[in-house]
Amino acid sequence: MTDHRLDQILGTTGRDPGCDAGLDSIDEYCDIVARGDPVPARFADFLTHLGNCRACREDTEGLLAVAREEQNRSGR
Amino acid sequence: MDILALDTESAHWLRDLQDEGGARDDAIARLHAMLVRVARGEAVRRRTTLPARAAEEVDDLCVQAANDALMAILSKLDTYRGAARFTTWACKFVILEASARLRRHAWRERKVELDDTIWDRLSDQAPPVLQRLEDDQLLRALHRAVDAHLTERQRLIFQSVTMDDVPIDVLAERLGSTRGAIYKTLHDARAKLRRALTDAGYAEQMQ
Repeated sequence: MTDHRLDQILGTTGRDPGCDAGLDSIDEYCDIVARGDPVPARFADFLTHLGNCRACREDTEGLLAVAREEQNRSGR
Repeated sequence: MDILALDTESAHWLRDLQDEGGARDDAIARLHAMLVRVARGEAVRRRTTLPARAAEEVDDLCVQAANDALMAILSKLDTYRGAARFTTWACKFVILEASARLRRHAWRERKVELDDTIWDRLSDQAPPVLQRLEDDQLLRALHRAVDAHLTERQRLIFQSVTMDDVPIDVLAERLGSTRGAIYKTLHDARAKLRRALTDAGYAEQMQ
């Protein structure tokens, strides 16, 4: 079993703020990614959580699709 | 709290929604229409996970999600700080409402129960991640650690999420809990298992 595969089952060891804290950051994160800006280091814990939580990962993908659409619509 | 400098469109949304006249009604109608559209878009994005002949029910779920999201947005309007565009901030609420409903809908006829036979079925019926488990020794050690160190609730949540692909929203609903609490239980269970596997001599794989 590779470390990566084990991480998928057991999660990673990085600091994970959980779903509630993660959802507080999701809109800001999606706007940054939709603009194509570099993701600041302060999102490291949020990204750890996305790696560990499929529901939050799916929700982020959904909101990112909306943010990209809005970004394209407004031309910014 | 400070409000960050808003882009023009976000400032207009906020101004209109805080208006005491007709502009507010118009803004609420526009916002609701956007939320319904986003919820339906999310349903389309997730269509492969949904029952085939449930289009009408799914659309009802989308409208319900938009209604609840609208109420949440209006009640939390004074918490919007401008860290994201207003539309992204607002759509967060409907994405969360819609996705939770859609995941629960997809699982509504499936049981969630502690099933220890899953360990025997991993090789042919489990999700791809588990099909790739090549180290039987480590898998057996993991099974022993689950039996020895997890409470029954932790076992149910750990095995359901990581082996049976049960969404945490579904577990939260069935167990009368919240998504955050279910995730915390999963997180604690994973930490226990990591410690147990490290103690059992698998420290190298734990790094």
